[in-house]
Amino acid sequence: MSGIIETLLWGVANGCIYILLATGLNIIFGVMKLVNFAHGQLLMIGAYVAFTASTAFGLNLYLSILVAMAAMALVGVGLERLTFRRVLGTDKLNEIFVSLGLIYVFENAAVLLWGNKLKQIPNPLQGGGLFLDEVLIGYDRLLAIFIVVIILAALFILLKKTKIGLAMRATSQRSETSMLMGVNIEKVYIFTFALGAALAGAAGALYGILSPFYPGIGALPTIKAFAIIMLGGLGSIPGAVIGGLLYGIAENTAVYFLGGIWQDAIAFALLIIVLVIKPTGLFGEKGE
Amino acid sequence: MQKKLIAIVVIAIVAVAAILVGWQLTQTPSPEARAIKIGLVACYEKAEGQDMDRAAKMAVQEINDAGGVWVEEWNTKVDIELVIVDTEDDSMGKSVGPVTRAVLEDGVDILIGGYTSSGTLANQVVAIDNRVPYIITGASSSLVTRRGPQGNYGGLAEDNQLRIEDEEGMSYMFHYCTTTADYSKTVVKFFAETMKPLLDSTYGFDSSRDLRLAILYRDDAFGKGVLADSKAIIASENLPIDVVVERSYPATATNFQTDLSVVKDAKPDAVYVVDFIAGTAEIIKQGQRDVGLNTVYIAVECCEDPQFYTLLGEYGKGQLLESKFAPYAGPPFYLSAIDTYVTDYQEKYNTLPGMMGADTYDAFYIAKAAIEDAGTVDKAAVRDALESTSIDQMLIITETGKIGFSTGVNYHEIAPVTFVEQLVWNEAAGECRAVIVYPDSAPGIDPLKQADFALPEGYEPGSP
Repeated sequence: MSGIIETLLWGVANGCIYILLATGLNIIFGVMKLVNFAHGQLLMIGAYVAFTASTAFGLNLYLSILVAMAAMALVGVGLERLTFRRVLGTDKLNEIFVSLGLIYVFENAAVLLWGNKLKQIPNPLQGGGLFLDEVLIGYDRLLAIFIVVIILAALFILLKKTKIGLAMRATSQRSETSMLMGVNIEKVYIFTFALGAALAGAAGALYGILSPFYPGIGALPTIKAFAIIMLGGLGSIPGAVIGGLLYGIAENTAVYFLGGIWQDAIAFALLIIVLVIKPTGLFGEKGE
Repeated sequence: MQKKLIAIVVIAIVAVAAILVGWQLTQTPSPEARAIKIGLVACYEKAEGQDMDRAAKMAVQEINDAGGVWVEEWNTKVDIELVIVDTEDDSMGKSVGPVTRAVLEDGVDILIGGYTSSGTLANQVVAIDNRVPYIITGASSSLVTRRGPQGNYGGLAEDNQLRIEDEEGMSYMFHYCTTTADYSKTVVKFFAETMKPLLDSTYGFDSSRDLRLAILYRDDAFGKGVLADSKAIIASENLPIDVVVERSYPATATNFQTDLSVVKDAKPDAVYVVDFIAGTAEIIKQGQRDVGLNTVYIAVECCEDPQFYTLLGEYGKGQLLESKFAPYAGPPFYLSAIDTYVTDYQEKYNTLPGMMGADTYDAFYIAKAAIEDAGTVDKAAVRDALESTSIDQMLIITETGKIGFSTGVNYHEIAPVTFVEQLVWNEAAGECRAVIVYPDSAPGIDPLKQADFALPEGYEPGSP
C-alpha cells in the first residue's frame, strides 16, 4: 500500500515537470503557431546549465533554477532570431526540419560540453523526507511541486495582468488584427519563445534535481509534451496542467501495476482514449 | 691431387653457399607479410567501452613492443593493428554497421569484444556470415555461441529468429566471458550458503524460512537471461531461496523509484540488480535514498569499473558485487598477473581498470597464441587454433588454471571462476573499495576470501 501512495506522489512530481514543458510548448504553439520538436532539448540544456551553476559555481541549488530559466530564455531569443524567424510563415515543413536539426545540434553540443555520462544535480534535500507509516514523502519532490505551483501562478499573472500577456493572448487569437491594433508582433514572438524556453529550462533544472540525466533525455519528453497538450487541448494552459498531471500519474501507476516496460504505452493509450472520446482534448475548443 | 683438392673445396664452398642462400631465402619475410588487423568491438560512448579500448591498446602495445606476432607462413613477426569498431551505445541498431565496415572494408583478421548481449547477438551475424573469428569478451548471454546447431540452438524454439542454422559460421564464435548462468550460480549460491545462515542467526529466523530475493532487471536479452538462469539454478539445486518479486524495466530508464516501491512492498531480504554501471548505481542509490529500501543489493560483474564506485559514493557501503576480476580488492591481489596489470594500467591511464577491459586484454593474447599456433592468418586455421587453445590463465581465473574453449553443448565457452565482493567505505579514497567475501577459495588460490560478509549498516530484513 505504501508503494502506491509513493507512486502517486512521484507521478505528481513527474507530472509537474511535464506541465512546465508542455505549457512552454503550448504557449509557443498558441502564439506563434510554431511546432518545435527540439523543445525537449531545451529541457536537457536547462538541466546541464543548472548542474553547472550549482556544481562549478557553487550556486544555491534552487537559485540555479532561475539561472537555468534565464539562460534558456536567452537561448530562446537566439533561436527565435537566428533560426525560426527565418522560416516562420513559410512552409510548415521548414519549421519542422529546423527544429529536427536543432535536436542534433543541442545533443551534440551537450556531449561536447558536458560529456555523455549520467549526471544529477547534487541536492541537499535528497534522501530526506517525511515517513508517514511506511510511506516516504521526499522533501525534494514536495519542493519541486511547490516551485511549479509558484511558476504557474507567476505565469498566470503575466498572461492575465500584464500588457505583454495581453499582447500574447491577442496575437494567439488574431495575429493580423493585433498587428493592426499596434501590437509589435516580432517582439511578442521573441518574448513568447524566450518564455517557452525559460519554462523548459525550469523543467530541466527540476528534472536534473529529481532524476539523473544525459544528453539524450530530451527526445521522449518532447513527444510526451505534445501528447499532453493534445490531451489537455491545444492552446489551453489549464489543459496542459491537468494533462501533465494525468500523464505523470498514469505513467507511474502503469509502472507500479504492470511494470516499467508499460510506462510509455499506457500514457499514450490514455491520450488515444481521450482523443477518441473528445477529439479537441479535455479543455480544447472547436476551431482552436 | 692438388686439382682434386681444389675441386672438393670449390664444391664445398658452392654447397655451403647454396645452403646459406637457401636458408637466407627461407628467412626472408614473405612479401605478403603485413600487420594483423584486430577489430575491437566496443561501445565507446560508455565507460565499459572506454575501459576495453584502454586495455586493448595496452595489450597491443605490449605485444608489438615484444616484437609482435610470429606468423610462420610469412617467416616474420608482425605487429597488431588495432581497428576501432565503435558501436556507440551498442544498441542493436547501432552495432551492426560498424562491424560490417570492419569486416568488409577494413578486412579485419579477428574481432574481439562485444558488450551487450542484444548488440552482440545482432553484430555477430556479420562475422558468422563472413567467417571471421570473433572472441566475444562481453555479452554474457550464452546464446552468442550456443545459438547454432553445436549449442543445440541454446534451447530456442524452432521458429525463434535468434537461431542460426549456419554450423560452419558458428564455429568462428568464441566466448571469453562469464555467461549469465555462471554468475547467477555464484550469486544464488552466495545467498543460500552465506547470507541465509547469517540472517537466520541474526534475526532468529526459522531455518525453514527461504531467503526472500527480488530480481530487478533490464528488459533485454541480458536481463532476461539472468532472471531465467537464476530461477533455473534455484530450482535445479533446490536452494532455499524464494524469488518474491521480479521486475523488468526499459533499458533506457533512469528513474526506478516506482519499480523499487513494488520491490519494497514485497519485503525482500536482498535485491539482485541486473543492469550495467549507470543503471545499477542509480537503482542502488534511488532504492536507499528515495524509497527507503534498506536492504542488500547485489550488482553484476560488468559494474566492476571505476565509474561504478564513483557513482555509488557512500550508497555503496556494505553492498555487493559479483565479479571475476577484482582491481579494487588489493593490492596485494589474488594473482600476481593482476598486480602487474593494475599497476601498468594505473601508470598509463591514471585510473583503475575495469572488468570489461580485463577480458579484452586476455583476448588479445589468446588471439596472438592462436595465430602463432596456426602459423597463418587464414581464418579457418585461426579458428581451429582457437578451438584448441591451451594457455595459462591470465587475469580471469578459470577452474583449471588454463584458458581453453569447450566443444560440448556449452559451445566455445571458458570455465571461469566468479566470486562476490562486498564494498567498504574507504575514507582516504573518498569512495568504496572491495573485499572478496565468497567463496573461501578458488582452484589454486587459497584463500580467496578476504573478509566475512556482514550485513550493511541500517539493513532491514524482509518479512519473517
